[in-house]
Amino acid sequence: MNNWKRRGCLAAIVVALLTAGPRGQTGAPRGEWPTYGGDLGHTRYAALDQISAANFNDLEVAWRFKTDNLGPRPEFNLQSTPLMVRGRLYSTGGTRRAVVALDAGTGELLWVHSEDEGARGAASPRQLSGRGLAYWSDGKDERILYVTPGYRLIALDARTGNPMPGFGRGGAVDLKADLDPAIDLTNAPIGLHATPIVAGNVVIVGAAFETGANPKSRRNIKGAVRGFDVRTGKRLWMFKTIPEPGEVGHETWENDSWAYTGNTGVWAQISVDEELGMAYLPVELPTHDYYGGARPGNGLFGESLVAIDYRTGERKWHYQLVHHGLWDMDIPCAPILVDIRVNGRTVKAVAQPSKQAFLYVFDRVTGQPIWPIEERPVPQGDTPGEKYSPTQPFPTRPRAYDRQGLTIDDLIDFTPQLRAEAVKAVAQYRIGPLFTPPAVSRAEGPIATLAMATQAPATNWPGGAYDPETHILYVYSQSAVATLGLVPPAEGTADGVRYHQGTVLTGARRTGGSGSATAQAGGAATAPTVQGLPLIKPPYGRINAINLDSGDILWQVPHGETPEAIRNHPALKGLNVPRTGRPGQVGTLVTRTLVIAGEPGFGPTPSGQRGSMLRAYDKRTGADAGAVYMPAPQTGSPMTYMLNGRQYLVVAISGGSYSGELVAFRLPQ
Amino acid sequence: MLTWFTAAVLALFAAQQVTVWDGVFTREQAERGDKLYADRCARCHGDTLQGVEAAPALVGSTFYNNWEGETLDALFERMRTSMPQDRPGSLTRAENADILAYMLSTAAYPAGKMTLDAQGGALTRVKILMYRPTPK
Repeated sequence: MNNWKRRGCLAAIVVALLTAGPRGQTGAPRGEWPTYGGDLGHTRYAALDQISAANFNDLEVAWRFKTDNLGPRPEFNLQSTPLMVRGRLYSTGGTRRAVVALDAGTGELLWVHSEDEGARGAASPRQLSGRGLAYWSDGKDERILYVTPGYRLIALDARTGNPMPGFGRGGAVDLKADLDPAIDLTNAPIGLHATPIVAGNVVIVGAAFETGANPKSRRNIKGAVRGFDVRTGKRLWMFKTIPEPGEVGHETWENDSWAYTGNTGVWAQISVDEELGMAYLPVELPTHDYYGGARPGNGLFGESLVAIDYRTGERKWHYQLVHHGLWDMDIPCAPILVDIRVNGRTVKAVAQPSKQAFLYVFDRVTGQPIWPIEERPVPQGDTPGEKYSPTQPFPTRPRAYDRQGLTIDDLIDFTPQLRAEAVKAVAQYRIGPLFTPPAVSRAEGPIATLAMATQAPATNWPGGAYDPETHILYVYSQSAVATLGLVPPAEGTADGVRYHQGTVLTGARRTGGSGSATAQAGGAATAPTVQGLPLIKPPYGRINAINLDSGDILWQVPHGETPEAIRNHPALKGLNVPRTGRPGQVGTLVTRTLVIAGEPGFGPTPSGQRGSMLRAYDKRTGADAGAVYMPAPQTGSPMTYMLNGRQYLVVAISGGSYSGELVAFRLPQ
Repeated sequence: MLTWFTAAVLALFAAQQVTVWDGVFTREQAERGDKLYADRCARCHGDTLQGVEAAPALVGSTFYNNWEGETLDALFERMRTSMPQDRPGSLTRAENADILAYMLSTAAYPAGKMTLDAQGGALTRVKILMYRPTPK
């Protein structure tokens, strides 16, 4: 081959790589933000660098959009990540989950669409404004798709906000209508906070239910994932997350428990690789978050990552992260699609952050773990009627990115006195490593199991972010202790359910026991505290950077300024307490140079004003790269875009008495 | 009608800021609030106020992340206008005040002789603080 030909080949390869690279893990394209996760692989990455460490502190508010009047009353938990396409910014907002289109440069309201769903909306287990919406275009048509609180899939004309008449019935598909078994269309408690995702011409929708801590029955609605034609709303397929007789995984349900068990929904964000034709489903656990006596067996596809063909709904592979779950681990957030270099070869992989602080990494074509995942024996409990899994899967790499379970070494240690009090405080509880099971609560002990990285999750629904250029994954996690106790249900609240979550300290009052919670105030309702300080030592919240080529944790920094209540605590007088980070749920954004995330909750601000800081970190080192004031904490995840030569950062904020608001930042001219 | 005692405490409030550590609710009120909480709030916020998924915890770090340093009035107004989520505005002011008293008692704040009263702007002077302020 001569030089010219070789160069021609090389150029062709470069062009092919640039144009035909796998969609789904390349970051937000063209300076826009067209899907919830920036791209279909949920990287939350934008290759923008106008906003940098050199100027982050100079950011100014470009515009604000208050969501109070989008519904009949203000909303205080705005979790949206808006989209930006062709100069228009789209978001959900307000108590009825209205949709708005705004001018992305000024915040001016262009149109609003709202549905009053009456009793159906009021019966929803997933109310309020949700996490956002999806955008689709074939070049001519432009559509916005979202799921209402009452569980209807709506298609709107992105230019006008009018419902698309050819979609479903008058622009809406009733998502309660074609489930198996059939459910009540008004009152059945099913909904969704997550956004739909559009792959090709298929809209994919999951399901969420009432919380599983205190189920009224072992029988519940079954989670299913469905695909709909984006033009007509016609249902194309349904993937049942509880396999039926003859299907793969059916044998993991003993005593015919598959027949009545429900939940096992996909309430988190779904990711898609359009090139491979696959969608990746993060499935929650089956009915009852803490007691599995009515569902013996591993219970597939509970707490499994499942890959399906998004055109047919056919299962391609699955991997169960927790067998017979008893800790409410679910899979709470989007799988992140990553192309990484492992042992000299490029692998199309998928990385799954989790409540249990493991990052599970698989080959996304085959489902094989990138690094070995070992089945290891785990502690067995003594709850009557429970049948524990003897082993659980443990990834060997990356190591856990936050603390799991609870040991004496995890307890607060600012002073020997505080440590001693903490040791005393946990004496009546069961503690142990990850997968230590919940305890039946007894006055003589154990009152409950105390554990981190379970129901009080390391990582929750905001998930992580990934830099496709450096192959570094970023994820926020908290260290928080959950109280996992079981008590008999209060009379008349449960049909055939042997235990509900609770402890003798609090549950007794509902079962006619001695005294009321009022009489026993303090320490009963949550994990014990030590003079009001957290039971555990800091950090309480952090951002982790994980190199996915090597599986090494690159850096970890506490995220969030030390709360005043800790800084000013009399027991810590004279001590130099470093930044502790704060617990919460935090979504991250990655750009060319920065990792950007707001602090969880209201906290100390440099000006002393009530509010919270939007922080930037150098993405290579984790060093502080700036912070800007916000009047309330981030409750959605930040997104970014370019418009007329200027980079914008938009964050949904709310909390406490501060109602939902979108805030857009940009640099001064 | 205001009792002489409540009137006296209100007058005191007018003069200085107080905190949730100053006995701003009665035990009886918290007990009434306990029942109301079980009927109207526990479904979403949990029997133990720990919160569940979509509904935040009303105790512990999540609560203070949202409310540390705020006034009881701000919290009361939030409850009055947005809760319970399935029928906002369906509780009377007195019922909301009882539920607030129950929340305070669960967080181990001391009960006192004064009934928590949402009328007359009294709550705007009561600050939510996780720790008892040190005497000056």
